[in-house]
Amino acid sequence: MKQRSAVYLDLLGILLAIVAALVIGILVIFMVSNEPVAALQALFIEPFTSLFSFGSVLNRMIPLVFTGLAIVVVFQSGVFSMGAEGQLYIGALTGALTAVYVTDLSPWIHIPLVILAALIGGALYGLLPGVLKAYFKADEIVSTLMFNFIAILFVSYLLNYVFKAPDSGGFARLPFIQDSAKLGQIFNGFPTHAGFLIAVLAAVAVYLLMYKTKTGYELRTVGKNPLFAEYGGIKPKKVLILSIAISGALAGLGGTIEVIGLHGTLKDNFSAGLGFDGIIVSLLARNHPIAVLLSAFFYAYLQVGGQIMQANSDVPRDLAIIIQALLVIFVSSQAIFAYLKQRKLMSASGGGRDAK
Amino acid sequence: MLSSLWEQTINLTLFVILLRMMPPILLGALGGLMTDRAGVINIGIEGLMLVSAFTSVAVGSATDSWLIGIAGGVLASMLVSYAMAFFSLKMKVDIIVSGFAVNIFGTGITVLMMSILYDSHGNFVPEHPVSIPNIVIPFLDQIPFLGKLLSGHNLMVWISILAVVFCYYMLYHTPYGTHLRATGEEPAAARSLGIPVVRIQYSALVWSGFFSGLAGAYLSMGMTSMFVRDMTAGTGFLALAVVIFGNRHPFGILAGSAVFALATAMTMIIETTPGNVIPSQFIKMVPYVVTIIALVVYAIRKHRKTLFS
Repeated sequence: MKQRSAVYLDLLGILLAIVAALVIGILVIFMVSNEPVAALQALFIEPFTSLFSFGSVLNRMIPLVFTGLAIVVVFQSGVFSMGAEGQLYIGALTGALTAVYVTDLSPWIHIPLVILAALIGGALYGLLPGVLKAYFKADEIVSTLMFNFIAILFVSYLLNYVFKAPDSGGFARLPFIQDSAKLGQIFNGFPTHAGFLIAVLAAVAVYLLMYKTKTGYELRTVGKNPLFAEYGGIKPKKVLILSIAISGALAGLGGTIEVIGLHGTLKDNFSAGLGFDGIIVSLLARNHPIAVLLSAFFYAYLQVGGQIMQANSDVPRDLAIIIQALLVIFVSSQAIFAYLKQRKLMSASGGGRDAK
Repeated sequence: MLSSLWEQTINLTLFVILLRMMPPILLGALGGLMTDRAGVINIGIEGLMLVSAFTSVAVGSATDSWLIGIAGGVLASMLVSYAMAFFSLKMKVDIIVSGFAVNIFGTGITVLMMSILYDSHGNFVPEHPVSIPNIVIPFLDQIPFLGKLLSGHNLMVWISILAVVFCYYMLYHTPYGTHLRATGEEPAAARSLGIPVVRIQYSALVWSGFFSGLAGAYLSMGMTSMFVRDMTAGTGFLALAVVIFGNRHPFGILAGSAVFALATAMTMIIETTPGNVIPSQFIKMVPYVVTIIALVVYAIRKHRKTLFS
């Protein structure tokens, strides 16, 4: 009962934070817009009004689920990796190369092979800062940021000089992927591709891993209390390397799913910050894998709504970015949650200060 | 190709470009240094720089004064960093998370304001641009080598170098600096000595707003005369790397910024050289690789005793 009440307070806090961010966003719309009603309608309602825009929301959500999950795994293990962006590029690279250059396979073999290549690419790239942290105590925040730049530049080099498609003109990209590696639409006439199903599966898998296995228990224990974990016989180095490798694998898979589901090729600078968006998604989900599905959806909904708002009214989509920033800061305000819990405790113990 | 690079090194073009590239990295890194030494790592420098870059060029062109422009940009950046301090120190938002939020906020608010005020989503070029002046030193600029070495650089180049000396003096030769470093090293011990830890951390974050503000003003009114969305393009993150690279010391940071600026300058020269064979991506990669190496070396030195036991 006690635990359930804590969950309930957490949800209440998140809800309050979301409402507060949205209210500020709406106020800003009223301040800056000559047609606030049209803007609000475009931002909040239009994403649901057509199959196409709703399908775009889901498409937008897919990579966010992967990078969000990637961040959940490291944050829960107490590792402040900012490296999802770089891992996403390397995973997209290994997956895309497999999708382009491995030929004559049935989709039932080719797609799993591409996914495997992405998982391995992302995991190996995640291992680098993980090993540096585990064995040399090199701060992972800065190192992962640097590894991001290196990955983006490295992929850009390969796309410009080594694997550039001959028919791509001035545009740096790989040749288009084999048909056998393409993820089709979930059903005809609906723009969302089958990567959506893989994303949902990944969220469930990460949930099971984190909450139903010994490894997950070890990851979370190290994250919560590294000293206690060590006393309990958990090897922190192993856990750290494992968590950042799993995280890399997830981010890498996210990159590849974009390639084989949405773009059909690997383009220079295709991500534009998906790895960093994953941080927002996992923060909104308060680091819970299943909640990542909801928060990725909400995030994608705001983004698509922002775009529609920009097209249909005088408010630019960047308003949605500000709402996201506010969401991050409000949802992470521990003081609000502490306050709520204290209130609850006080009223449970018969009033206290809040006598009316 | 090498000969062309050599030529541009000899005639100081490389050096001039290097100095042009250095201030935003250097100033951003000094902002990062203040927070780093106070134990409140600010990863929001990127966002602070953006806020200042936009505000300064907007205020500057509206008032027709680059000085008021800088003041406006720096003030805006300090306000945002103060808000960041409020959320992380008072509302207990994780410092990494709040820095992250500042980065998103910086992107969003600048483009929002740009489209509201100037009806543009991509960039804002003021009709009457103002810019931070270049400093031509009389007589000296007539001397062939020395002139190019010392004269004609942007005012912000000199300000950023002065800022290094200022930070060094403040950190190592004032009581405030001692308190700030103590706060970062061992907050509990500092508190027991009566040092107002939280207030010091507030001030460190506001300092980072100040320096990032100068950096941002230079981006939009020194290097260019316009604001482009996301024009920082990772400079704020580079600045964080430079803090580590420069061994958390003002003079180390000066050297580190020079290395990063050199890499950028070389990339620019090589990219414009006909018949070049080195892909620019590899030159751009060098500072990041070096930073990772520096990070490892720093960590090994710091943990030498415990690491290999």
